Amino acid sequence: MSISAEGFEKVLRYAELFRQGMICTVSISALTVFFGFFLALLLAIMRLSKVRIFKFVAATYVEVIRATPMLVQLFIVYLVVFSGIKLPDMTIFGFIKFDRFFPGVVALALNSGAYTSEIIRAGIQSIDIGQTEAARSLGLTQFQNMRLIVLPQAIKNILPAIGNEFVTIIKESSICYTIGVQEIMYGVKAAQSATFIIAEPLLIAAALYFVLTFPTSKLIGYFERRMRRGDIR
Amino acid sequence: MAISDNLAEKEALISVSGLKKYYNKGKIKALDGIDAEILPGEVVVVIGPSGSGKSTFLRSLNLLEPPTEGTIVFDGVEITDRHCDINLHRQKMGMVFQHFNLFPHKTILENMTIAPVHVKHMSKKEAEEKAHELLKRVGLDDRWNAYPIQLSGGQKQRVAIVRALMMEPQVMLFDEPTSALDPEMVGEVLEVMKELALGGMTMVVVTHEMGFAKEVGSRVLFMESGRLIEEGTPKKIFEHPESPRLQDFLSKILQ
Repeated sequence: MSISAEGFEKVLRYAELFRQGMICTVSISALTVFFGFFLALLLAIMRLSKVRIFKFVAATYVEVIRATPMLVQLFIVYLVVFSGIKLPDMTIFGFIKFDRFFPGVVALALNSGAYTSEIIRAGIQSIDIGQTEAARSLGLTQFQNMRLIVLPQAIKNILPAIGNEFVTIIKESSICYTIGVQEIMYGVKAAQSATFIIAEPLLIAAALYFVLTFPTSKLIGYFERRMRRGDIR
Repeated sequence: MAISDNLAEKEALISVSGLKKYYNKGKIKALDGIDAEILPGEVVVVIGPSGSGKSTFLRSLNLLEPPTEGTIVFDGVEITDRHCDINLHRQKMGMVFQHFNLFPHKTILENMTIAPVHVKHMSKKEAEEKAHELLKRVGLDDRWNAYPIQLSGGQKQRVAIVRALMMEPQVMLFDEPTSALDPEMVGEVLEVMKELALGGMTMVVVTHEMGFAKEVGSRVLFMESGRLIEEGTPKKIFEHPESPRLQDFLSKILQ
């Protein structure tokens, strides 16, 4: 194993690949977080509803997703589900191929939604039933109660866990390189093939992931503190 | 008393008949057939040993506990009817809880304005003015910007009372409002409730404060084992109890 300044210099001629990879990773992660969160919210509410079929569907979904590997899920989504669907032949930001990018986002969101839904469910259940009773006794509907009273408090409680999940998504999104999404790991592979240098591109990738995940956890820490205003005596 | 004669002629605001609440498929009978009427302007105090179903009774009046059987007619509408929009009627029934249940993530002012703004579509400004006015009445206007955790138990409960009053309810339901308070704070909450009663508010109060029942109550209901055992004026209930169970209960609490 040899790591040299020269090696970095050679690899950095392909800096553009890493720049693109970073944009792509951020895009995948942001969209996954967004769609995954709404899926999770839906699953959590289904699981807590009184309708049995909703409970069953949500519980089964979560169990299946949690019991199968992410890589298998990704391949099933990309090679099976989207094999029959013609996606528009377009690019985002001029280089991200949509027909690979989109299945990647779908697979990640389906996966993350299952995990996040368990976090949200625990968060909702952690809120004292008295809160709901007070809200309902004031005439708020079930939906208003969720939106105005229960979820804001639940999210405050689960913010660390949610933040953790966001960070996980950024890292997990690297798996999308296996279906040819041009994210950071794809840049690594391309730089390696062009230069025959193995170590330096990987170190650059690790640094880039750190640059993305570290501020994310810091940002979530900031929101956590801000939302704790109501706890100060 | 002349007051009770007047009340007898009025139409009931809440009329409960055959109210039953079973748990575990009928194994536990929390309410076992209650018939009762609440007249406008009355202060009805519900007493009874713990587990007698008095809280369940109160909580079924606004369907926080959906009854297993029986009907409740409120303000001329059968709210136990499946097709009835309960949210509409809950607005008109204020409720105060043992554990206050203020919203901890909202300031005192926000606690008070949330329902009028989102349910009654009152403007925020109007709701805030009204909230300040009510807070002044209970001597807490200087705390409008505080969060619930910064208040004492007695202060929280006073806020909870005026929060319910924001919706201008026709009746106020109190579920053991002083049971979770330190003894020195009970007085301030009872004082607010007394003023409310003197102002003509219809109230149903589940409490262990026999002093309040005697002084403010216009009628007392005694419950045991999910049944209404005896009812009457405070004078009759406390001085001339008829049923042995009520006599037994009173002898225990009054020693």
